[in-house]
Amino acid sequence: MAKEMIAMLLAGGQGSRLYALTQKLAKPAVPFGGKYRIIDFPLSNCVNSGIDTVGILTQYQPMVLNEYIGNGQPWDLDRLYGGVHVLPPYQQASGSDWYKGTANAIYQNISFIERYNPQYVIILSGDQICKQDYSDFLRFHKEKGAEFSVAVMEVPWEEASRFGLMVADENDKITEFQEKPKEPKSNLASMGIYIFNWDILKKYLIEDEADPESENDFGNNIIPNLLRDGRNMYAYHFSGYWKDVGTISSLWEANMEVLDPEHSGINLFDDDWKIYSRNSGMTGHRISRGAVVENSMITDGCRIAGDVKHSILFAGVTVEEGARVEDAVIMGGTVIKSGAVVEHCIVAENVVIGENATVGAMPTEGKSGVATIGSGVYVGDNAKIGPDAMVSNNVKDGDEQW
Amino acid sequence: MVKSNTDALGIIFPNSYDSLVPELVTERLMASIPFAGRYRMVDFLLSSMVNCGIGNISIVVRSNYHSLMDHLGSGREWDLARKNGGLSIFPPYSEKTVKIYNGRVEALASIMDFLKDQKEKYVFLSDANIAVNFDFGAMLNAHIASGADVTVAYKEMEIPEAMKQINTINSDLYYTFNIEDGRITDIRIRPQDDGIQNLSMNIYLIERERLITMINDAFVRGNIYFERDVLSPKLNELNIQAYRYDGYLAYISGMKSYFDENMKLLDEANLDALFSESPIYTKIRDDNPTRYITGAKAENVMAADGCIIEGEVENCVLFRGVRICKGAKVKNCVLMQDTVVGEGADVEYVITDKNVTISADKSIRGTDTFPVYVAKFQTV
Repeated sequence: MAKEMIAMLLAGGQGSRLYALTQKLAKPAVPFGGKYRIIDFPLSNCVNSGIDTVGILTQYQPMVLNEYIGNGQPWDLDRLYGGVHVLPPYQQASGSDWYKGTANAIYQNISFIERYNPQYVIILSGDQICKQDYSDFLRFHKEKGAEFSVAVMEVPWEEASRFGLMVADENDKITEFQEKPKEPKSNLASMGIYIFNWDILKKYLIEDEADPESENDFGNNIIPNLLRDGRNMYAYHFSGYWKDVGTISSLWEANMEVLDPEHSGINLFDDDWKIYSRNSGMTGHRISRGAVVENSMITDGCRIAGDVKHSILFAGVTVEEGARVEDAVIMGGTVIKSGAVVEHCIVAENVVIGENATVGAMPTEGKSGVATIGSGVYVGDNAKIGPDAMVSNNVKDGDEQW
Repeated sequence: MVKSNTDALGIIFPNSYDSLVPELVTERLMASIPFAGRYRMVDFLLSSMVNCGIGNISIVVRSNYHSLMDHLGSGREWDLARKNGGLSIFPPYSEKTVKIYNGRVEALASIMDFLKDQKEKYVFLSDANIAVNFDFGAMLNAHIASGADVTVAYKEMEIPEAMKQINTINSDLYYTFNIEDGRITDIRIRPQDDGIQNLSMNIYLIERERLITMINDAFVRGNIYFERDVLSPKLNELNIQAYRYDGYLAYISGMKSYFDENMKLLDEANLDALFSESPIYTKIRDDNPTRYITGAKAENVMAADGCIIEGEVENCVLFRGVRICKGAKVKNCVLMQDTVVGEGADVEYVITDKNVTISADKSIRGTDTFPVYVAKFQTV
């Protein structure tokens, strides 16, 4: 039986601008929002939209991601026919190649897509925080009789030149595409989420592969080629919460926005659109006598005896008595020892912050750096980590890093 | 300490001691009573067995088992969705000639064909009114070392007062042992003694072939109770060994003890004792992390995921998805899944069952000796 639409999820990105956080894992595997990883969002969107077949294209540091996805059961994607498949580059009779670009990654998996003989293929990006109903996007695509549709967000005009922009007419038909232009003609930014008719996608992938000059990229090659040929291309307006968490500050910001769902628009407390994840299986968290927890999210397995304000604590974080945590994102298994002050920062998994150490600082005039500590790092007693520091090696007792 | 295979199968009797907590089991059974924030009683035995390499577990249910079936599903969360072995649930037959079982003998007789079919050498039998992180492997080793015919786990503790009140018409008996050099010399049924006793945990270990013979023998004689009718008369004939358990044990013997055992877990030493040996698995609900909103105050609280806390909470165990609204004061409470405490409500010494709503500005107070219980889906 053919599938109406299957999803291909681009998850190969290194996320180099996340530095210490992506040393050992791919960007889509970066933890987010207390108990999720970034990839939980597109995967849950798929399942909630009725898509039961997802190919995940991996390349950079796939181990954590592979293990995390497993058989796809947490997302209900362990299916007899379809389900989730991790697709790393592989060797073929004609040779082997890394994924050279986003289009090439799909090209190398044409045979995977053909097994399901879908009418439509949705291309997703594994590094965005967004709750989106792809079935509504598909309805739009079908209603317009489109061959290609792209989800777009309206962005402020003054920021428009940072994005790939779609120029569209009053019927949402795309007439022009501008990649980060100096003089934007539109403020409709591409979200990097596309629906293709499969026959069209396949044709253009094959054509693109044959072009030695091509960068094999959707934005730079496939979309311009579709435009050149006057294909039916439409822009689907999306107005919900969307965040590309490609940088430390945007990742920190998005986490903080989770704490304020009433204003930020990212509501994880939505029974109608659950975000699924692989659970830690830890017992409930503990708040001791004398602890202070304010405006924060605390996950199973946490033990809190200190002060936690406006922060997100992932599963199994310990905050000892006398420690202070504010405006911080603390990932799973990290221990913050007594007297430590941890502010305005991202601390990755299984970090130890020694007694009386300080990490980060609340923003001051002109300075708003988000200190970042990579996973497994040991920050010694009395150490000082400045607000702009990016730490991926152990810090000795009393040392300073800025 | 996970062994890949233990040559034993597990059998759990989920309805044992239902009569001790009549309020909690109106729509469920002992094994599916929520406990410790995110678990059900059965999780502890299932997880302990699985962690000791027992991968073939049967649950012989008697009544009210919808919630248990819903909780267990295919057994995947305990790694028991297996081709060989795994989780088997035996509901009673609904035939005129087959009565719902009363004691263990009848229960085991009803699954005789299954028992004969299995390959494992040993059988563990257990009830589900205890929350333990139990090392079944150690008990098996002790059994083999002692050359026992039957080994029974016990704990040195006082008989819970509520147990002593058990109505004799009910089938839920309890037992204490006289022990000499590890061997049980006397089984006392429903004793009323005060002070520390060798109280049976009702975890039995026996060779499968021998169990089959015993049960067949007892069943044709119309016997009901394994301890009273099978073991007790054979104390001289069989080498029945006692296995002392010194670890943490939460023993549910009534509403009061249910409350106390939950509360005890607010002490981190107890929490660690129950959970740190090896993991306890349970059904996943995919809740978001718990959110503390500005103005929330929490002290000495254990809370599972999915709660939203805006009010004040002190000395409480909160299950998944509990909501404490603004201005509400909640003290010394056990609030089960999806309880909502409305704005300005004042609640002390209360146990709420699942999906209870306490309306705004309501005040409910129990006492430490008599916590108020609010039944499932009730609005106060």
